[in-house]
Amino acid sequence: MDIVVAIKQVPDTSEAVDVVEIDASGRDINKEALVSKINDWDEYALEEAVQLKQKLGGTVTAVTVGASEWDDILRRALAMGADRAIRIDEDAASMDSNTVAKILTAVIIHLPYDLVIFGAQSEDFGSGQLGCMVAEMLDIPHATLVVSLQMDEGEVRVSRELEGGALELYTLKLPALLTIQTGINRPRYVSFASIKKAREKELKVISLNELGLSRDALTPLVILEKLELTPTGKKAELISGSAEETAGKLAMILNDSGVI
Amino acid sequence: MALADYKYKDVIHRCFRCGYCKFPSNWMEVNNCPAYARFRLESYSTGGRLWLIRAWLNDEIEWTDHLAQIVYSCAACKNCVEQCPYRFHDDIVDMIIAARSEMVERGSIPSVVKEFLENIQRQGNPYGNARSKRGEWVEGMGIKQYEGQEYLYYVGCVGSYDTRAKETARTLGEVLLKAGVSFGVMGNDENCDGNEVSKLGEESLFQSLAEDNIQQFKDLGVEKIVALSPHSYNAIKNDYPMFNGSFEVFHYTQLLRDLIKGGRLDISSGFDARVTYHDPCFLGRWNKEYEAPRQVLNAIPGVELVEMERSREGALCCGGGGGNFYTDFLGGSEDSPARIRIREACATGASIVATACPNCMTMLEDAVKAEGLEESIKVKDISEIVAEACLAKRAD
Repeated sequence: MDIVVAIKQVPDTSEAVDVVEIDASGRDINKEALVSKINDWDEYALEEAVQLKQKLGGTVTAVTVGASEWDDILRRALAMGADRAIRIDEDAASMDSNTVAKILTAVIIHLPYDLVIFGAQSEDFGSGQLGCMVAEMLDIPHATLVVSLQMDEGEVRVSRELEGGALELYTLKLPALLTIQTGINRPRYVSFASIKKAREKELKVISLNELGLSRDALTPLVILEKLELTPTGKKAELISGSAEETAGKLAMILNDSGVI
Repeated sequence: MALADYKYKDVIHRCFRCGYCKFPSNWMEVNNCPAYARFRLESYSTGGRLWLIRAWLNDEIEWTDHLAQIVYSCAACKNCVEQCPYRFHDDIVDMIIAARSEMVERGSIPSVVKEFLENIQRQGNPYGNARSKRGEWVEGMGIKQYEGQEYLYYVGCVGSYDTRAKETARTLGEVLLKAGVSFGVMGNDENCDGNEVSKLGEESLFQSLAEDNIQQFKDLGVEKIVALSPHSYNAIKNDYPMFNGSFEVFHYTQLLRDLIKGGRLDISSGFDARVTYHDPCFLGRWNKEYEAPRQVLNAIPGVELVEMERSREGALCCGGGGGNFYTDFLGGSEDSPARIRIREACATGASIVATACPNCMTMLEDAVKAEGLEESIKVKDISEIVAEACLAKRAD
């Protein structure tokens, strides 16, 4: 069972709300003060791939399009249990999804695969498009927002997450592409020692030229014009009632807004 | 790891479940093991936990979330080490840590522990708060960056980021300034000391933290370190030497005791209160320092120092060790060790329970609120009591 997992690196903005500012280009955030990490959805995708491999045997290959700092997430993938990693050496920061999809397809098409797995979306730009595009380019069936999956002879059965907890069940013929939703599993902890040990595994770096592509020829179909921060508003809502009533109303407001 | 590869394979089966590990040194209670006090199930006492660990390593039981929670519920307080009658009693907490190391290597640890460790890897503190905010507590105080002064004042993660503990960090800074001590801090360059990381079984991360810190200290020419937290004190004093980092480390109560003795701190304003002192595990049982904090308190005019039922080597842990101040495996019940401890403190008639550790401070403060005892007892750090005793006398 051969699995290819596409992953990306994102800035960690979880605890840095007031440290986020737009950079000089006006089309990205200033990342100097921020630490990088693997995209949350991709961590679940990797974990799912490694668990499948551990159950059914085979290989897991992690792939990314990024500059050299992105080797960190590939090492992490190898430490989690991927067998090899490939990085296409291009700064993906200014690319649109279509361009990244073309590059990834050019690599994946030469790899053996029964399943290609992506995270459902990324923490930074959140377009959610990459998996679908690559599936179309590879001409294989795909399912997005997968919250559970089961392999069978030549096919995979998946549950897709819909609103309100509803699930759709699908059967896809292999080879297929899946985009993974968070919560599908519990990603394992990667110890410092295992990341060091992962240096023994293969991490291949290739250039666009080696794929027969050139940056100039890859015209973006979507151009990001501007990135803005949401203006902080001052809004006060007075809640009235007894202590129990107000506590209840407050709890609902916090719950609905996603704070708790 | 099979049982055959486990470091303590020759002794782990020898626990014969006498139960001493649950008792304090004066035998007055059966709940002196904080995890046992919380759950009152044998699995959570050291003896029970070791039996389960052996069964797991021997493939008799499978890893489950529940097993991991039991293994990670130990606060590493060393009450069991103090009480166990066996020759290998010194190793029993290490046996639990060795089992945690195995879980870490397999990647199968509780989610909160994973968060704790990953936050430290990324931001240098378990809360995952931005590194760029670590030095903020110093604002407006006139405390300088360390550049070769006599002491490095090492604050630690809890003192740098926790709201209540930050006040302690500041107050100690004030007291040191008042005493004319030559010291500096590392601000945003300070990184986690790694003590809890080591107790959680992530040895390789601990080694990396220790080696980086040691290199930083050496590059700055640090020789003497005064630590706010007994956890930092423990790691730097006892564990850093094995990575070639030897420094003269003091817990701040030891320095304050010497400053008071040497007449460098005028505490004549005094502090009028009946005070009971809570021994922090990493200062007390781990490092046998029971006297310095008491000497400081006894030197202050007006302080009436009373002891709780269980004190010194028999003290009940607040339940904040082994990362529990964050992972909170022992919270959520009136049997939580911190709440038991606060009730014990109130029973002495004291209006103040004095702490010497930022972890104990946060655990006990929360317990006072959970118990609804805000009117009966306050939690104050020794540095805060000393600071009040240093205030210039008001003209009456």
